[in-house]
Amino acid sequence: MSKPSFVYVTYIRSSADKVWSALTSPEYTAKTWFGTHHETDWQAGSPWRLVFPDGRVADSGEIVEIDRPRRLVLKWLNEKPELKAEGWSRCTIEIEPVADDAVKLTVTHQLDGEGTKFIAAVSGGWPRILSNVKSLLETGELVLKEKVS
Amino acid sequence: MSKPTFVYVTYIASTPEKVFKALTDTEATAKFWFGNAVTSDWKVGSPVTFHREGKLILSGKVIEHDASRRLSYTFTPHHEPHNGSDTSRVVMDLEQQKGQVKLTVTHDGFAPDSTVFAGISNGWPLVLSNLKSYLETGTTPLYAPWYEEAAQRATAEA
Repeated sequence: MSKPSFVYVTYIRSSADKVWSALTSPEYTAKTWFGTHHETDWQAGSPWRLVFPDGRVADSGEIVEIDRPRRLVLKWLNEKPELKAEGWSRCTIEIEPVADDAVKLTVTHQLDGEGTKFIAAVSGGWPRILSNVKSLLETGELVLKEKVS
Repeated sequence: MSKPTFVYVTYIASTPEKVFKALTDTEATAKFWFGNAVTSDWKVGSPVTFHREGKLILSGKVIEHDASRRLSYTFTPHHEPHNGSDTSRVVMDLEQQKGQVKLTVTHDGFAPDSTVFAGISNGWPLVLSNLKSYLETGTTPLYAPWYEEAAQRATAEA
């Protein structure tokens, strides 16, 4: 049986560089990713953390693979106890130009072991974050200006 | 093995009325659904058809029509290689959340040996990305010659 996973694809009228920035730079993630920012030096093998504005760590792990602006693979552990209990996951972000002015963005999040809570959580989170990234890049505005359930 | 279900959620800066209209309007669907124009009177049991350049691409029957909240119809592809033989079900749920709409598309009810699932898994992200752009930017969105190539690839892989 295949591992528990979540896949989300969205098409964005933008460039691969801009989509990469929107997912990695603090100026963008503060807006699109509900105030969080990445803490890492973006080198393969380096530690990686996603941090809330108040300093709490949302997720931690390691940069497994990085090929800017096409591919990023993260070893990923959510810090919420009930999600942490399900263990490590792997997140793969792929950015593929499909036309002069459009890219295909694919996020695949797979749990190493078994469980349902972590995949349910990321299935809720990624559509919000990626809807925001698409809106911000295409219109300059966010779709979700504040977090809703 | 469990039957596959495809679920896609997108958040659109719009109103449920506008999103629902776009999903049920002939001209709007022609724009964001890559030329596939929908026609129906949207009464429960009535036929739903999608034509592109005069050719029947999809057909179905209305299962549920709850204006601005929920739309459901059966889904039968007519393009090669399906030719109207493989029917599944689409449900679209719209939920107003502050200044945006949460749109959830659930596609299930595939026959055990269905080859449609691979194609729709590729197709819905394209259609719904375009719908979001169409409603938020107000312009005809991505011109997508690669859409048909992607659809063909998905069919070939299926």
